[in-house]
Amino acid sequence: MASKYGLAGGIPERRVRPIWDAIDSRQYKNALKLCVGLLAKHPNSPYALALKALILERMGKPDEAMSVCLNAKDLLYSSTAVHVDDLTLSTLQIVFQRLDRLDLATSCYEHACAKYPNNLEIMMGLFNCYVREYSYVKQQQIAIKMYKIVGEERFLLWAVCSIQLQAISSNGGDKLLPLAEGLLKKHIASHSLHEPEALHIYISILEQQGKYETALEVISGNLGSLIGIEVDKLRIQGRLLARARDFAAGAEKFQRVLELCSDDWDAFLNYLGCLLEDDINWSKASVTDQIKLSNSVDFQNCKLSTLTEEVFNFRLSTALSFVQNLQMKGYNDCVRCPYLATIEIERRRRLNGKADDFKLMEVLLNYFNRFGHLSCFTSDVESSLHILTSDERNELLEAFGKSSESSSTISTKAIGSAITIFKIQELFDCASCFPVTDLETIAMKMVDMYCKSLYLSRELDPQENMHGEELLSTVCNVLVHLFWRTRCLSYLLVAILVLEFGSNIRRYVWQYKILLLHLYSHFGALPLSYEWYGTLDVKNILLETVSHHILPQMLRSPLWSETADLLKEYIKFMDDYFNEAADLTFLAYRHRNYSKVIEFVQFKERLQHSYQYLMARMDASILQMKQKTDKLEDVEFILENVKHGLQFLELSNEAELKLLAFNEDFQTRPWWSPTSSINYLLETFEEGTAHRREQKHQVDMRECVARKAIEWKSLLPRLVYLSIQVASSFLKENIELNGSVSDIDYTSEFKCLLERYARNLGLSFEDATEAIVGISEGKKSFKEYDLEMVHLINFAVFVNAFNLCTHHLEPGVGHQQSSWHIVNSLVEKCISEELMHAQPIFTSPGNNLPILVDLVTESISWHILVIQSCLRSMIPSGKKKKKPSATDQLNLPQLQPVHASIQCLTNSIQDVQTWLEGQVNKPEDESLDTLLSHLQSGDTEQGPYQICRILEETATESNPELGERISGALQCWNSANVIRKLVAAQHRSVTEFHCMCASKLRLLESFKQLI
Amino acid sequence: MTTIRRFCCDDLLRFAPVNFDHLTETFNMSFYMTYLARWPDYFHVAEAPGGRIMGYIMGKVEGQGESWHGHVTAVTVASEYRRQQLAKKLMNMLEDISDKMDKAYFVDLFVRASNMPAIKMYEKLGYVIYRRVLRYYSGEEDGLDMRKALSRDVKKKSIIPLKRPVTPDELEYD
Repeated sequence: MASKYGLAGGIPERRVRPIWDAIDSRQYKNALKLCVGLLAKHPNSPYALALKALILERMGKPDEAMSVCLNAKDLLYSSTAVHVDDLTLSTLQIVFQRLDRLDLATSCYEHACAKYPNNLEIMMGLFNCYVREYSYVKQQQIAIKMYKIVGEERFLLWAVCSIQLQAISSNGGDKLLPLAEGLLKKHIASHSLHEPEALHIYISILEQQGKYETALEVISGNLGSLIGIEVDKLRIQGRLLARARDFAAGAEKFQRVLELCSDDWDAFLNYLGCLLEDDINWSKASVTDQIKLSNSVDFQNCKLSTLTEEVFNFRLSTALSFVQNLQMKGYNDCVRCPYLATIEIERRRRLNGKADDFKLMEVLLNYFNRFGHLSCFTSDVESSLHILTSDERNELLEAFGKSSESSSTISTKAIGSAITIFKIQELFDCASCFPVTDLETIAMKMVDMYCKSLYLSRELDPQENMHGEELLSTVCNVLVHLFWRTRCLSYLLVAILVLEFGSNIRRYVWQYKILLLHLYSHFGALPLSYEWYGTLDVKNILLETVSHHILPQMLRSPLWSETADLLKEYIKFMDDYFNEAADLTFLAYRHRNYSKVIEFVQFKERLQHSYQYLMARMDASILQMKQKTDKLEDVEFILENVKHGLQFLELSNEAELKLLAFNEDFQTRPWWSPTSSINYLLETFEEGTAHRREQKHQVDMRECVARKAIEWKSLLPRLVYLSIQVASSFLKENIELNGSVSDIDYTSEFKCLLERYARNLGLSFEDATEAIVGISEGKKSFKEYDLEMVHLINFAVFVNAFNLCTHHLEPGVGHQQSSWHIVNSLVEKCISEELMHAQPIFTSPGNNLPILVDLVTESISWHILVIQSCLRSMIPSGKKKKKPSATDQLNLPQLQPVHASIQCLTNSIQDVQTWLEGQVNKPEDESLDTLLSHLQSGDTEQGPYQICRILEETATESNPELGERISGALQCWNSANVIRKLVAAQHRSVTEFHCMCASKLRLLESFKQLI
Repeated sequence: MTTIRRFCCDDLLRFAPVNFDHLTETFNMSFYMTYLARWPDYFHVAEAPGGRIMGYIMGKVEGQGESWHGHVTAVTVASEYRRQQLAKKLMNMLEDISDKMDKAYFVDLFVRASNMPAIKMYEKLGYVIYRRVLRYYSGEEDGLDMRKALSRDVKKKSIIPLKRPVTPDELEYD
């Protein structure tokens, strides 16, 4: 900003410079002092006022800043004599933006534009204001005005981009795109085009209208020279030709691309697609795809070819001989495309039912012989492996095995090939069919190989990946599978040890970190998971894509402070980005990168509709409420900040839910938990295997589940609010809320929301009511409903509150007292059921701690709020303690059910507390010994023991071949320390929860003192 | 096997496995988007079959007169795709654009003085250590400014090493 000096509003630069210097160095007090001095000399200068407002805003005085800004604005509007320039306006704009009043900034610019109709600088400022407001029509209008004044290409493109954005946001491309095309055509006729990006936009507009031939003419004509890189031009031409169904010409272009860039896989797919005349999926090619200069033609992969068999075979032979020619050119081993291409050709042949089956296996084996040692081999050939029959898979694995055995002793290549075979076994889910002993042998073999190959990495810098690093991740996968199958704890413990062992040698392996994070989380050692998550250094955009590794578990844990930090950091990142997104878009306009303009706007929308962002905002408020349930006033304050819960109902309306974007990157999740809502380890092996086969389906289903979860969560704050409101009037004859709003309004809304809540559970209101009554009376059980218990109990809590305001009884509910009784009974039953099956957390991975946490911190807490609200209404405000005179007053018959409820909650929480105490008070050493015994005792021939032995032997033997660094790391290895940390983390989780229960009990005790 | 194309915003949502690498910084949004908005030709991503991100390079072109140069801000490759000369391909691409499209004199980059594997790799690609920048990284570790001359710098003047180290304040560009 300091660089923007000059005569601003007629003030000499020397007077202004010290103020900017003070602002830049954050000496706001000094800046303000100087500015006051400036204002004394120039009391009517809008610029001086804008500066003062800016300083006040930075000092954290938004109200004063706003008032000064408005003064400046009034001056701008009132006096014709006042000088207005962009510096004044842009300074005001900064303050208005920070005060969240973009509209005021815009009106200042609009006024200035009217005053100085041809001032380009101010017009650009106004355009920027419209960009910030996402007002595409107004953007277009002002851009056209600027274009008319100076005739510059860039302003025309600003207008064209604004038209494109309108077309995208309104689906009104039919009329708008021809308008953009017309404008460009006219300009080209008189001025031609000078920017490559302008040409890209022109082509994209033609393409979106299906005018491929015209686009081809443009790019093949004079304007084509704007594209400086030949292959880029060829790719665009190929794409346009393919879309115009001129496949022969398209194939020729892509062939040319491959001759220039022989490793371009996309170009090969497009080449093959053109040769085989694959159908092109026009409709799905989004506007952004075209604008992003994507070269992909979106061939509908693998559809049956419409060509005759003869033509089909001929075309494939053409492709084959072309790629064989590329192979002959003798590229080094880093060029894989011409080799993978032969696999793709055979794959296509097979998909069309014209296969020489042996051929596909042969090319796969050839590819393995050449590239089998590479870490990416499996993902390269994955799509081809999927189409093999079960017999072929076995045959192929055998062939790979034989081929790699023939390659002598341990070398980096041999390890690479061995890892590839293990990974393919994993891909084929061989573990499900192998006997336990075989799997143990495989795991042992891999650990042994890892340890024996350590010396290969002795010369490597610690920053570099070690050879054979992937072995340990694969071992972990096998061991977790064994745990799943046998439920034998030692497998899980050894999986942890193996990864910790690897991390001890090289601590930068993120794959280990993620696996450990999930293993510890499953083992109830969430503090340790959180610690490992911390080592991943997740920040900025990664918060959007990888928080799912930890956030869902944290939200169901007693680690509230860490959870609040996670949510806060994530929400802040998103909000900061939304605040600056429009300015970054304007930057793209200014630098004439028009394709980025469209991309930026669409990306911002994608993040704005992020599922996780919406959930996090709700979770943050709900978490705050949970933390404050001890004090009703605090909860009310939190609710007030979210419009008494209405804000979330608005955010989760149907239109918003349709636009939801799922941006999480699940590719790094472990196999046993492909999404945050799935954990196969919580299911039995057989069930899980079936699910695993439908993994993709599960991921798709997740979006459906996520929408339901959002709706459910969005209802909670409002239902809590309504419950508190109606409970506060519990004992009054004529209910008047806040002195003005009648309960009638609440009743209908309350009923409506309860119906939605029930619907969200998959039940009608009547059925849900019947369910809670049935369970409370012992006629039904929780198990009959495929629902989370906490959801049903929450419903009972809210129905009870609803009954308080309606004063009439819902059919089937019984009488008023019974709704209290229903809640009591459900809480009692649920907790006793959970405790009956509860195992000590230390030795039972996947235990029910999260369910108990949910019950205590949600259902019970919401009910406590209802009770608090009832009690508050009976005690004169400000009265903290029971006074003798109040005793009679409070000893009302209506209080009996409240009293009973308090007692019931107390009993239930005490039961949980007792269960927890057994674990909290257990010495950590005792738990440690228990866990260690799983590793030390038993059959010494068994896998877990053997693997531990290999690790210990490697750690203790001093092998000079390993080099100083690796040997040093091995000397520090201590498996007992790993288990000790695990126990400590589990202990902390339990202790935190124990404290929460204690706090709830104290609160309930204080209620008892009142009545 | 590489499809190298311009980096786009959506790639930010898919590059986690690359950025989990401990030496790869995940910058704030305005950093990435400023590069995309200003120098989209210097920000490329390599994609594997199936669409996984193999690695990416981000850079810019800046300077005046004979200091007009391409700059590599970050180049990184996912662990799964290392030891395949992908970084070389990405670097060559950026050098090509600096050389042919922007007619720059040289390409430069900064690297941690302790990051020997990277320094060796850049040396193999023809970069030389032009100067040492004292406490360049968070005021702690020294950085090395490495340069490679392009065809416009016929006499290779831009890469004659400086005799003394410089401080970050003395750097011409951020």
